[in-house]
Amino acid sequence: MNGKSLRKTGTILMFVTPGLLIVVVFILMPLLMSLFNSMFNWNQLIRAEFVGLENIKKLFNTYPYKERFFNALGNNLRWFVLTMAIQNTLGLLFGYLMARRILGHEFFKRVFFLPVLFSIVAVGFLWGLYLRPNGLLNAALAAVGRTDLQHAWLGEARYATLSIIMVNIWRWIGFPSLVFLAAIDSIGQEYLEAAYLDGAGEWQVFWKIVFPLIIPAITVITVLTIIGSLNVFEQVYTMAGLDGAPNYATDTIGTLFYRTAFGSVDSGSPEIGIGSAISVVIYLMTFFFSLFSIIFTRSKEVEL
Amino acid sequence: MKKRMTLVAVMLLVISLVGLFAAGSAEQKTAKTEIQFWTWRPEDVDFYNSVIADFEKANPDIKVVQNAIRNTEYNTVLAASLSGGSGPDIFQTRAYGGLLTFSDSGYLENIEKWYPAVTNFPEAALGGAKDSKGNIWGVPVIGQTQLVYYNKAMYDAYGLKVPATWNEFLNNCKVLKNKGVTPIANGSKEGWIVETMLGSVGATFYGGNDFFNEVVAGKTTFEDPRFIRAIEKLGELKPYLPPMYTGVAYTDMQAAFFNEMAGHFLGGSYEASYFKSQNPDLDFDIFAMPGEKATDPRYVSVYADMNWSLNAASTKKEAAAKFLAFLASTEVANRFIKDLGNVAWAPGADASSSPFIQKVLELQKTSTPYIFLVGFRYQQPTGSALFQSAGQGFFAGELSAAEVASNVQRGIATYYEPFQK
Amino acid sequence: MITDFQLRNASTLKKIILLICLVVMLIYVILILYPLFNMVVSSFKTTRQILQHPFSLPETVSFANYKTLWVDKGFANYFINSIIITVSAMVFVVIFGSMASFGISRYSFKANTLVYMLFLSGIMLPLKAAIIPLFLIIKKLALVNTRLSCIFIFIAMGIPSTVFILAGFMKMIPKDIEYAARIDGCSDFRIYAQIFMPLCASSIALVTIYNAVPIWNDFFFPLVFLQSEKFKTLPVGLSSFFGQNSTNWGLLFTGLSIAIVPMVVMYLFMSKYFIRGMIAGAIK
Repeated sequence: MNGKSLRKTGTILMFVTPGLLIVVVFILMPLLMSLFNSMFNWNQLIRAEFVGLENIKKLFNTYPYKERFFNALGNNLRWFVLTMAIQNTLGLLFGYLMARRILGHEFFKRVFFLPVLFSIVAVGFLWGLYLRPNGLLNAALAAVGRTDLQHAWLGEARYATLSIIMVNIWRWIGFPSLVFLAAIDSIGQEYLEAAYLDGAGEWQVFWKIVFPLIIPAITVITVLTIIGSLNVFEQVYTMAGLDGAPNYATDTIGTLFYRTAFGSVDSGSPEIGIGSAISVVIYLMTFFFSLFSIIFTRSKEVEL
Repeated sequence: MKKRMTLVAVMLLVISLVGLFAAGSAEQKTAKTEIQFWTWRPEDVDFYNSVIADFEKANPDIKVVQNAIRNTEYNTVLAASLSGGSGPDIFQTRAYGGLLTFSDSGYLENIEKWYPAVTNFPEAALGGAKDSKGNIWGVPVIGQTQLVYYNKAMYDAYGLKVPATWNEFLNNCKVLKNKGVTPIANGSKEGWIVETMLGSVGATFYGGNDFFNEVVAGKTTFEDPRFIRAIEKLGELKPYLPPMYTGVAYTDMQAAFFNEMAGHFLGGSYEASYFKSQNPDLDFDIFAMPGEKATDPRYVSVYADMNWSLNAASTKKEAAAKFLAFLASTEVANRFIKDLGNVAWAPGADASSSPFIQKVLELQKTSTPYIFLVGFRYQQPTGSALFQSAGQGFFAGELSAAEVASNVQRGIATYYEPFQK
Repeated sequence: MITDFQLRNASTLKKIILLICLVVMLIYVILILYPLFNMVVSSFKTTRQILQHPFSLPETVSFANYKTLWVDKGFANYFINSIIITVSAMVFVVIFGSMASFGISRYSFKANTLVYMLFLSGIMLPLKAAIIPLFLIIKKLALVNTRLSCIFIFIAMGIPSTVFILAGFMKMIPKDIEYAARIDGCSDFRIYAQIFMPLCASSIALVTIYNAVPIWNDFFFPLVFLQSEKFKTLPVGLSSFFGQNSTNWGLLFTGLSIAIVPMVVMYLFMSKYFIRGMIAGAIK
């Protein structure tokens, strides 16, 4: 009995250790050190005295940190809701259609993932060009006679974050599409055949058989979306800059964090203490939301 | 299929082994002392290479390796390297608050020790290189000015003259607009552009140095009617900005001006060489924004832009100091003026090679510090950040001029002692 | 196959719905191909032309930009560095990541959820946030200004999402396959290597692309850690076209067009494995 469990432990260790070691040394340790930094006051780049949770309290209670933080958080919430509603739903639809081999599915499969291959800089600049006041989108609106719908898409507070989110969705639809495609593919054909032969309709088959069986994939996508929405940074940085232009309308906790922790060329020096406090909050939120998602969906997992 | 897979797998394995083992580090033992020189100007790499070539000719035992890091990442990379105890031997540092990030942390050498002649530089220049105790942490390199560019060819074609009053300026804009030309190229998508507009237009209206000195001393606040009036004046420009100007970015603005689709450009003296390089035929000139009356002083905003600093942890300070002295010399300063079109601070610099710079120096005779950068970018939230975002709200019609002023005041008052009495 | 859409016997409503879906997908395809086309076309223009006429075809098709980039600006060297770093990192991301996924998803042990959450923590904060402590660690390991620094960092960045995705897929594989293999006398490692890996081919392909692209395009970590010319990667080279007051869009687009090629090649190669996954599922 002992020998067997020892061998089992050894096997598990063999599989898990190499990856775990690298992640611990190069990611977890720096992150912990950086979270630890939030408990100190900082004199520019030099650590000063220990202050415990002061920085986090300051973040939630003092002007301007409080205002900026909750403003940014609101934007992150927008990111999450819109991404789930549009990107992941469309992704599920496309994935399902491709799994059921809709006309042209081979072609779609290959093309849908192309935007992911672009560098974010390219995406940011190209879509910045299309969304300019005299860019393609406004030109297209003029062509159909709807000049009243023309806007400075990235310049107006109402549309700026929305536009950036849409560009990000454009970029990423291919990913959930392919994840769901792979998941639906891995459902044994015999189950689906049996259902169709029994006379079940499309809708029924999808909701009663396919959906429950791909819940692990849905978990994966949901959690990645939660994490992505809380951490979004690159896309906003490329299209709107570090300072949340215009007037903090595109600010996210990612950009807020970066400019607080590292300073922004245009507007200020780093405040490492508060910046690290922001990262603590981001980390805790991401951790708990992901944990809840995983636990919730794990309970719904169906096994064959 | 299987054969191809194995082939690919072998290829991948070989490449990764190269990655893992042929890695190696870059230090080579040569007889020369090698010093690392960092800048945030990738666009000036060739210029610095030629300066380095001249230096190395005169100092054959020193090799200078330039590393130009993208401007927006420069501070982060520098902070990471210096905090880690490595980093360059000699490098560019920001002026004013951006310098203190590194000097207060003890990463810089007190520059007077290595270049005593620095004290001969003009006061305006040293303002950007000193801390509150008067220690000098870098040798000032160049200064910038916020002013108004105009397309001379258009002025000639439409019979316009350089305006002597604010209303004449607005009239010029009206004429251009009627002719189908965008009067002013500026947009408000990027925050720092909003700040430059205050620098080139607002300074004349808030009363230049009088206001600056008073507000720095705390004798008045940013809610002073003069300052609010300056913001309102910016608002009078709205009809003359491009359509949907809240979405016009910096690149678009520059392109509009040098492609002759806009008649004016409110910006810094650093734009001229870029305009010329993109459109050598562009016929442009500069003026300072006039006030209400022709007799009002016409202010341009001026600030120090860049310093040379030495790394306190460097092991090659002597060699770096030699290069520093070379960079700070009048000879190189003249090259800054001639080749890069920048106002170099070094005493004895000669602007005769550049009519543009001579004109800038003319305008600088009535100058005032670029208010937020010089006076209020030392702590968070900086005056710049506050004004940039509130200014964007103002241009979008969300905030009034008074609200902009109170946003700025409120933010600065959280840390600025003279405001806290 | 019976699970394909049976169009012949379908109702009109179903046909209309499918048609609408098809149109939506086609619109998306156009939205994808146009920017790609735009980017490549722009690589033949100068900066001024791009800013003045961003959407029109270039007047002359000149490869001058390409030559400037590859030869004069030393991008051939940057390209090779990028390949070395990306491939090395990806090989180990896939190997270590799939091994860890296997360990977590197929074995129950007390620390299972903890280990899983530890891996997951790796994606919860951008590593950029911790650049200063990370720099200190890399310095202690004497890896500053070596390719290994970036390789290790990228491996570390790729493993968490790999574990997360692969563990999910490995969980969906029925237990009977594993039992059958054990009964046949397969060792754990063989089960992993010869049964699970092929079964997960499509998700491994997915994970490869998901990680390879950000690694290939990352300019931040190479910027911080690779300071010598001879180690710099493609994105770092591209970042040098972003001046403080001017951007060299012509050369930038040329570089971006070159940079996307290996990614497209890799993707087309990997996309075969999506089909594989389907077939494997069918054969089961």
